[in-house]
Amino acid sequence: MATKVTANPDLDVFKEERQGKLREVGGQAVWSLSSCKPGFGVDQLRDDSADTYWQSDGPQPHLVNIQFRKKTTVHDICIYTDFKSDESYTPNRISIRAGSHFNDLAEVEQIEMSEPVGWISVPMKDVNDKPIRTFMVQIAILSNHQNGRDTHLRKIKVRSPVQDVSMAKMPKFTSPELIQLSYIK
Amino acid sequence: MLLQEPVQAAIWDGLNHYAYNDATFLAERLYSEVSSEEALYLLATCYFRSGKPIQAYMLLHKCGCPSPKCKFLMARCCMEINKLPEAEEVLAGNILSKSKSFDELEQEFGSMACHVFSLLGAMYSKTERTQKALDCYRKCLKLNPLLWSAYEKLCQLGEKVDPSQVFQVPSQKPSTPAPQMTQITEKVVNTCMQTPVANLSEVLKSVSDVSQTSIENKQQQTPLPQCTITYSTPECLQDLAPAIPPRLHRKKPLPLLGSPLSPSFGILPIDTPSPQPQSHTLPFITPSPVAFSESNNTLEIRAPSKKPVTRRSQNQNQNPMPKPPVFSVSGNTNTRDIHNSQTGLHNNPPQVRRSSRLFGSNNSSSVKENNKSQGNKSGFQSPKTVGRKSKTRSSKSQQELNEINKAELLTDTKPQQNPEVPTQHQIMQMQHHWYFTLVTNGKAYQALAQYDCRKAISYFQELPVHQYNTGWVLCHVGRAYSELAEYSKAEKIFSKVRRIEPYRLEGMEIYSTTLWHLQKEVELSTLAQELTEMDKNSAEAWCATGNCFSLHKEHDTAVKFFERSIQVNPNFSYAYTLLGHEYVFTEELDKAMSCFRNAIRVDPRHYNAWYGLGMIYYKQEKFSLAEVHFRRALLINPQSSVLLCHVGVVQHAQQKSDHALITLNKAIAAEPQNPLCKFHRASILLASDKHKEALAELEELKQIVPKESLVYFLIGKVHKKLGNTHLALMNFSWAMDLDPKGINNQIKEAVDKRHVTEDDDAVARLNSIGLEDDLGLDVDEPEAGPGIDQDDLQLQAIESDESL
Repeated sequence: MATKVTANPDLDVFKEERQGKLREVGGQAVWSLSSCKPGFGVDQLRDDSADTYWQSDGPQPHLVNIQFRKKTTVHDICIYTDFKSDESYTPNRISIRAGSHFNDLAEVEQIEMSEPVGWISVPMKDVNDKPIRTFMVQIAILSNHQNGRDTHLRKIKVRSPVQDVSMAKMPKFTSPELIQLSYIK
Repeated sequence: MLLQEPVQAAIWDGLNHYAYNDATFLAERLYSEVSSEEALYLLATCYFRSGKPIQAYMLLHKCGCPSPKCKFLMARCCMEINKLPEAEEVLAGNILSKSKSFDELEQEFGSMACHVFSLLGAMYSKTERTQKALDCYRKCLKLNPLLWSAYEKLCQLGEKVDPSQVFQVPSQKPSTPAPQMTQITEKVVNTCMQTPVANLSEVLKSVSDVSQTSIENKQQQTPLPQCTITYSTPECLQDLAPAIPPRLHRKKPLPLLGSPLSPSFGILPIDTPSPQPQSHTLPFITPSPVAFSESNNTLEIRAPSKKPVTRRSQNQNQNPMPKPPVFSVSGNTNTRDIHNSQTGLHNNPPQVRRSSRLFGSNNSSSVKENNKSQGNKSGFQSPKTVGRKSKTRSSKSQQELNEINKAELLTDTKPQQNPEVPTQHQIMQMQHHWYFTLVTNGKAYQALAQYDCRKAISYFQELPVHQYNTGWVLCHVGRAYSELAEYSKAEKIFSKVRRIEPYRLEGMEIYSTTLWHLQKEVELSTLAQELTEMDKNSAEAWCATGNCFSLHKEHDTAVKFFERSIQVNPNFSYAYTLLGHEYVFTEELDKAMSCFRNAIRVDPRHYNAWYGLGMIYYKQEKFSLAEVHFRRALLINPQSSVLLCHVGVVQHAQQKSDHALITLNKAIAAEPQNPLCKFHRASILLASDKHKEALAELEELKQIVPKESLVYFLIGKVHKKLGNTHLALMNFSWAMDLDPKGINNQIKEAVDKRHVTEDDDAVARLNSIGLEDDLGLDVDEPEAGPGIDQDDLQLQAIESDESL
């Protein structure tokens, strides 16, 4: 059921972003947490810094809810955790669900991590192996390492594929001459 | 009262030597001692020049603006701190009630009128009263054709002005006998000291009357710039002796004549050098340089009695000198600069003294001062165009001055007989040369503003080499090339600019965009680093940085830098446009839209912003809106075939394929080698089922851009429609090969579809072909499956040869 995932610190998760194929769309969504310790909330989770983290402060499972304004194609979710600094706060089993609203979520992926240090990318594929299109994504932390109660998450990124507009409308040229001409800046 | 003048002189001296703290302190003491309008003006000037427009504004606001000078300064401060309605009210009266007419303004401000009009023009253009702005700028140019920025603004507002009309060589006046220097100087001096500006015309008229008396000095008359008087006719001015200006400027700073903007370097009649253009003279009345005044006071009195002969000889000696300084080509700075040198030229009778000053710090300081004061005038923004040309000029003028001085020293007592004939001719030559430069620059700039880029480039190339190789000219040439989408040429020109004038900031944003188009990451990041190191307060530097990150596809960072650029200079429309493009990349179309709209608010003729809006609507599939915006952009820039191309594409999207084809034909007629237009035409022909023509078009396109994968993709699609599956497959595979990064997934999909419908042979063939690299394709031919007949094989062979 659960896919085993290991975090490789050297893994370059953002290669495709630099190539222009994927884009982080977390900025277009509303983020909420099931609970948090004061000073360790959404801002610390979304601030793109590995030093600040979200610390939960309630019963398990801990939830991160991401709600988009419009139906968004999600390619994958990247989570940054650090077992060396967080130990028992590091999540062990994570379930990612998607749907239209809180009462309509269905699990897309469940992963199990063992002593992860660095980024983990969880692909969000539907039955046909295509990125899912959804209004809402929920990341549920089911258990932590060493059976810790609360969890630390340092960074989360939600990535969406850059939409390929039909070739007739906006052809993407490969040769430099045409690329230069096709755009007036 | 007696105490005032030396103190005033000291204050001007401080201002001229950038000792703003000293000047401010003295001005404050003076103002508390004597609260005259002159003292008020001085104090406000001190604040303004030290970079504190708000303080100047508050002071003037509190005390009211009694004199026209104060009003002008107040308006300038208001513009600086962005209080446009107040600025306008101060100058032209209440907006709601009847505002003053141009004649009234001319009368009121006299010599400053041209600057007043320039300021008013800026105000009106910011508040969208374009017609009034145009009138103001035209008036300003009429009064002073050398105010280049007014000319620039006219062009930017889309007005078609004839530069040869504007920058006219004044008709040569026959040399009338110069008035007795002594008489005139004394008279002028006396009258000037007391009379208000408006009366100077009378003074001058009286002077010119005096000048009618023939004198020994057969000097050439220079239209003495003098004083104000917008009414004074060139004749009147010309009749005045050259002596006057020097005298004047040696005077203590005349309150009336002084303006905060013309640094002590008054115009100087280039004595012999020819009649200056009338306008030329006006603004540069010299409040006498304080530097001279004090020390010269004693001399002054002697001067009239002293040898006019010496002066004459000086003048005569100066004649042969080319006077580049005189006819400043483009821009205020040059004229000021020139005046500087002129000041130097007009030596006092103690020739030696003057010349020493000429060689020494005076010149350099005066030159610098001009630039600095210009910079001050523009409100202490990073000196942009201010120093540019004048710097190249000043070095030249320095040399010339040195030469002049040497000549003077050597030939001290040249007989006065025949100075005019050769000199007059030479002067005429120089004059024409300078006006030619001015007019050429004007024509070129106008052409560029109308986006007639080829003409602009040809005009610029008419300039002499030393003029061409200056930052301003080269930047505009580079811009012209970049508008024509000839980015490599533009890049060469811009790198030349960087070599010649590494301190130049304007135009660098176009350079960064050019590098962005050429995808030259290293050069772009170098440029960005150098510019930001040079000046963190310049919008162009941050634009370059933003472009650099945009090239690296780090759009969020790029957005940050473009926003910073906007913060630094909210009136820089290009920054808004670039920010809009970034938002389009990050798919935040609403923000992009507002950015483009802001760009248009700042500059309605910024066609890139109109284009950007059109693109957004196109992406949102609102094709009619897109077409409207593209057409608007096209109105502004009719020569861009890319824009025409986009209009055609949009028309096609609206199902108006015939119109689309007509438009594209127009585009191709304009630029036959433009691959983009051909590509779109081919795809429209394909969509309209005109396969043969599409194929023909695509074949031509293959010759022009052999490495473009989409070309082969289209050919493949045509063949697929025609039923030539082998050819189609071949072309698709070529397309895929040329697209290593798989940018276009559709090619893959099209090939996949082929997979589904074809038999195994085809699949196998495709696989084998797809696995080969470009070079290997040749090898594929013999491996082709049994299904291929000879014809196809032949065709394949031919096609593969062509493509490789």
